[in-house]
Amino acid sequence: MAPLLSVRNLTKHFGGILAVDKVSFEIHEGETLGFIGPNGAGKSTVVNCLTGYLAADEGEIELNGVNITRMKRHERVHLGLARTYQIPRPFPELTALTSVLASSISGKKRINQSFQDAMYDATHYLEFVGLFSKRNILARDLTFYELRMLELARALATTPKLLFIDEVMAGLNPGEAKNAIKMIRRAKEEFGVTVFWIEHVMAVLMEAADRIVAINYGAKLAEGTPDEVVNNDDVIEAYLGRGWRNYA
Amino acid sequence: MVETELKRDRVIIRLGTKKWEWTLEPRYWRNTLMWAAILFLLPIPCYFFLPGIINTMISANIYAAIAMPLALMTIGTGRMNFGPQFYIGVGGYTAALLSIAFGWGPLMTLPFALLTAMIAALLFSPLVIMARGLYYVLLTLLLPLVFLEVTFIYTDIFKGDTGLFGIVPLLNTGNAKINFLLIGYLSTALMFAYLWIINKVLKSRYGLIMAAINDDEEVAHSIGVNINKVKIIAFVAASTMVGLIGWFYAHYFSSFAGITYLPLTFMLKILLVLMIGGRAQVFGCVVGGYFIAFLEMLMIRFMGPIQPLLFPIILLILLFILPEGLFGLYRKRRYREYLPTIHVRR
Repeated sequence: MAPLLSVRNLTKHFGGILAVDKVSFEIHEGETLGFIGPNGAGKSTVVNCLTGYLAADEGEIELNGVNITRMKRHERVHLGLARTYQIPRPFPELTALTSVLASSISGKKRINQSFQDAMYDATHYLEFVGLFSKRNILARDLTFYELRMLELARALATTPKLLFIDEVMAGLNPGEAKNAIKMIRRAKEEFGVTVFWIEHVMAVLMEAADRIVAINYGAKLAEGTPDEVVNNDDVIEAYLGRGWRNYA
Repeated sequence: MVETELKRDRVIIRLGTKKWEWTLEPRYWRNTLMWAAILFLLPIPCYFFLPGIINTMISANIYAAIAMPLALMTIGTGRMNFGPQFYIGVGGYTAALLSIAFGWGPLMTLPFALLTAMIAALLFSPLVIMARGLYYVLLTLLLPLVFLEVTFIYTDIFKGDTGLFGIVPLLNTGNAKINFLLIGYLSTALMFAYLWIINKVLKSRYGLIMAAINDDEEVAHSIGVNINKVKIIAFVAASTMVGLIGWFYAHYFSSFAGITYLPLTFMLKILLVLMIGGRAQVFGCVVGGYFIAFLEMLMIRFMGPIQPLLFPIILLILLFILPEGLFGLYRKRRYREYLPTIHVRR
């Protein structure tokens, strides 16, 4: 089966610093790909290159066989890429419903979609993440967990094929985090999205991911099933430092 | 003893054991047809008793008709333009120069005024992509001031010191008073046309997209909005609408001088119309326009020499006690009735 997204030799420099060094991987339709790495490993830079925030210096990105390396952000969204932010970035002056409505209107092109149709869609996504009762609250007045859920609804409303989730657990308490994981699983089932999941919390990815890619200093360390990656010596070394065996 | 009590949504008046309640339901006085009828009927008694009021009405309508496209532009580009009067200058000078040179009437000069305003806007539209924040404010602020200098430098063309005279008037029925009344109606019609168009746009899906851009450009881009296209269209369309006002001014006064419209004092008035009406609410712009025009008229008539000082002070006080403008009083009660407003960013 052809991959949904294939990344080949992705490279990104910031001045003299090599942030991403020839990273290659593939994502297949319907899977959940975990993406891990220590702080400053270049995880977010990879996502930024894939979603079009930063232009890749070298390498190729293909989505469904279409080369999107030089495409603008909104064109990538129309092809089916969506992302959530590490720190929620709502539209502060819009209500929860209208924020989702905006992305439902401007996301992937749907033929003959009227304003009312978009409103129905937006209502559905808002209900899915459990914010229907808060639909008329301005986004700036929502709590942190609700903002995360609003982000998810906004990303889903663009009807993506591939959803980039950037550290959804950061700042949530265990109960909320559990809900968030459940929500992403349900989204996978109901909307048929493929998930690219960056996370610090390993326990979450061990449970949810089908495959994990680990990077450090911008270069790929390991790729495989969660068990393989966790038992990989390079990965352990990247997290714990060289000579960790002396203390183990 | 009469006791009055102001609750959140009602005023309660008590007299002895009796009690009256008056619900403050803003929805009732937001009836556009009622206000349109008042605005169209008001000039008739004024025509017989107080012709001066018609003059104030015309300036109020024109202030509102400049502030409304500016509101559209501010929301659609996500930036505060401090020099919309540049396009008044472009439209006005085009109409004035063509009318004087070829003796053309207002209908002949109209397409050219619109065209030059649109071309000027297209020429400067890359600003909305390149500059943001303070830089955008400074650049847009400079444009009309530079144009003002140009009118003085090339004074043989623009007559920067005396102004251009002898423009064909907007209407000529032979009776000056009737001309005045008709122009009053024309300005009201122009204002309502702008109100209708801009309100329609802001309430549509495009208005929502503009509101998203106004709130957070980056995020709007990442949900699939082609931000550059939307910003340029909003900028050019709104500038062209402002350019039309220049055409109106030139033919209305039969004279046009850049020094009247291009300096900052005129811009300040427009900005206050925008802010006092309510942060870029289109209906608020109309309220703000009438408020400012009538306040100005009363000040000039009764305050004499200290008027230039008092006018900004009163407006400053109003901006402090009504940070969201007059329309904000309404919005605070029911923000679920969605309308985009400007989000002032650093």
